[in-house]
Amino acid sequence: MSETLIPTTTDYLSAVQAAVADALGIDEDEAVPEATLLGELGAESIDLLDILFRLERTTKVKITVADIADLLQGGIPDEEFGDENEVVNDTGLTHLEKVLPQFDRAQLTEPLTAEGVLGLFTVQNLTDLLTERAKAA
Amino acid sequence: MKLKDRTALVTGASRGIGRAIALGLAEQGAAVAVNYRSRREDALAVVKEIETAGGKAVAIGADVADPQDAARLVEEANRLLGPLNLLVNNAGVSDDGLIYDSPADAWLNVMKTNFGGAYHCTHAVMEQFMAQGAATIVNISSAMGERGWIGQSNYSASKGALNSFTRCAAVELARFGVRVNAVLAGFTPTELVGEVMQRDGGKSIKRQIPMRRFATVEQVASAALFLAGPDSGYTTGELLCVDGGFSAQLGVGRP
Repeated sequence: MSETLIPTTTDYLSAVQAAVADALGIDEDEAVPEATLLGELGAESIDLLDILFRLERTTKVKITVADIADLLQGGIPDEEFGDENEVVNDTGLTHLEKVLPQFDRAQLTEPLTAEGVLGLFTVQNLTDLLTERAKAA
Repeated sequence: MKLKDRTALVTGASRGIGRAIALGLAEQGAAVAVNYRSRREDALAVVKEIETAGGKAVAIGADVADPQDAARLVEEANRLLGPLNLLVNNAGVSDDGLIYDSPADAWLNVMKTNFGGAYHCTHAVMEQFMAQGAATIVNISSAMGERGWIGQSNYSASKGALNSFTRCAAVELARFGVRVNAVLAGFTPTELVGEVMQRDGGKSIKRQIPMRRFATVEQVASAALFLAGPDSGYTTGELLCVDGGFSAQLGVGRP
């Protein structure tokens, strides 16, 4: 008797939490869905790479940092996404509200810069991207 | 057979230390891509020797000093042998002479092959090595990269660069399950160091080596095999001297 196990969103969340915990040396229960990776969890660029390669090994789904950047910017050219000071404008903010369910521009305490965009990305956002990629594969 | 199911690329493997490493890896069960730049016949002979002994090997021509060519080399090795998980950056050249006598750009080609070649090949394999999470890179360097020697400024600088690169790459790749180490060979009679030995057949150098003899290519290769294989599982960023005690010694080591 055999059955095919189709991973569920919960499985992907666990995979992301395990990868984040291993890469950052934190407990899995600290990698809560709403935690931002580069912000609250303090991941640096090599940590993010580590997380993505760990996920590739455990789930066989490849996600690159460029994929995350593409999701966040949605193919909108730099000059349309933000103003000349690289502060994200209405077009950019509207796009971010579309792709990051938790994002609400009303909650911003200071102008969002292009550099700060990646900092919005949470454990849950990565889980969603992973789930979507796995489905598409 | 400690390297069964491993797939290796050895650059500059048609002769000298590279050849000995290719043969050694194959003896331990690895499939080996034997890279050469110009010595196709020699490389094919290495392949034949491996095949005769029951191993698997292919010869691939490429100049690792060129980043595109290095990338193609890695791609071909993957295509012909399956996914690589072991890289030995061995290809090296020398262009000895006093700095005073040399053209101002005498360092460029030496640097491009000795350091650049390792950089290019490491860059070309890293994505797949990181994804696998169990791969090794061994750089064949020189004790000369840590100290000075008259007439070897560009060679020494290129190996010094390779040694630094070994440490940096080791630190960057450690968490991805990729180990990076170097073998610092001492005086090893190969065609590369012919000039150094020229004066008196190397006698005056031999007198300065604590062990009083030169390294064989097999002795250098066996250190590379150790760093490439499971016996060095917790070792990364290491520069392993195989130099008969030469660089352990201060001056001539006695009054």
